[in-house]
Amino acid sequence: MQFMNKIIPVLFLALAICYLSSCEKDDICVDSDTPLLVIGFFDVEDTLVSKNVSLLRVRALGFDTSPDTFTDRSNSLDSIGIPLQIDTTSTSYVFITDSEDDDEGNETGNIDTLSFDYVLQEVFVSRACGFVGNFEGLTETLQTDSDNWIQNIQIVTPNIENSGSIHVKIFH
Amino acid sequence: MSKYFTSIAMLLFAAGAISQRKPIDLQSKDTVANKQEYGLRIGVDISRPVLSFADEDYTGFEIVGDYRINESLWLAAELGNEERSRIENLSNIDIYDFTTSGSYLKLGADYNTYQNWYGMSNSITLGGRYAIASFSQTLNEYRIFDSNRYFNPDGFIVGSTEAEEFSSLNATWLELVIGLKAELFSNIYVGMSIRLGHLITNTEEDRFPNLWIPGFNKVTDNSKWGVGYNYSISYFIPFYKRAKKKRETLENQE
Repeated sequence: MQFMNKIIPVLFLALAICYLSSCEKDDICVDSDTPLLVIGFFDVEDTLVSKNVSLLRVRALGFDTSPDTFTDRSNSLDSIGIPLQIDTTSTSYVFITDSEDDDEGNETGNIDTLSFDYVLQEVFVSRACGFVGNFEGLTETLQTDSDNWIQNIQIVTPNIENSGSIHVKIFH
Repeated sequence: MSKYFTSIAMLLFAAGAISQRKPIDLQSKDTVANKQEYGLRIGVDISRPVLSFADEDYTGFEIVGDYRINESLWLAAELGNEERSRIENLSNIDIYDFTTSGSYLKLGADYNTYQNWYGMSNSITLGGRYAIASFSQTLNEYRIFDSNRYFNPDGFIVGSTEAEEFSSLNATWLELVIGLKAELFSNIYVGMSIRLGHLITNTEEDRFPNLWIPGFNKVTDNSKWGVGYNYSISYFIPFYKRAKKKRETLENQE
């Protein structure tokens, strides 16, 4: 009986430790994700001032839909985040300004095609999130046409690890 | 025979009278020494084989041993081998799958805080261990987590399905052990312990950190603490007996 009286507090302590250890904060993935490529739009005359693109539409080349990360055909965007493909090393997007459909449903805006090349880095971020992709050594190629609305492009951050700041500046 | 009975009885009374001549010592010393057994106790953990049988993602065993060095101190050790696989999932999609396999050794001491009644040898112990583990981790397959569904509407892209082994990993840690042991039958003990570990060193690969360590259990992100337990059954091999020290100094002062 005396032994039992001593055992009970020990068991309680054991239970308490088990209980505390099961409150694991790292079972929910909240802290990380594969980042988006953040593009900022700036005035070509005054390169420090951001400038909205009128009726901007951005789509991956060959896609019929836009990424759901920003409003399609909006007049009030000075920056957008677009996903990059993680199973290849290059993603091409069409950037359309003054995007509108004519009566037959054809695009009437000015279309510029921009390709991004990069190297994918697989990074283990946490127990709950596992691996995410980071993009390193970002470069861009603008297809020249008779009337490019994009005047100049500057890569601010070639190594993309988060979606918190602008990686690429587009001047127009 | 019966005719001598009375004479014999009378003789015995006389013997009684003789023995009474010696003065009665009212403060006689207790000559029954409380002799305690000293020796080696070896056994096995029973939870690990049970878990190996019940859980297909786990196999393991642990040998436990302790050696009594004085009244309440035992040198203690555990030696074990464990292998464990785990699939981690996110939004019901398996994001990675890994297997950890390796061995560990824990060395330390247990201090018995329990005062037994005469003849009993149960214990409630507080102890410490220094533990080392040597192991390998295999990343069996993984996907790359990307919450954006634009390019891959159906799920996460597969990173690799080829097993990638990270070998010669090791870790050391300190353990606080709270345990109890009860003598079930003569020299057969059952025990349980709960352990709080604190990692001292942990060599891991940058590409894939140590998420689980044999003997230490789960490694939590940004934390050095881990929790373990065992349920043991062991056999005590007595080597010699030594009398329990009496608290004479205390008694003399009174």
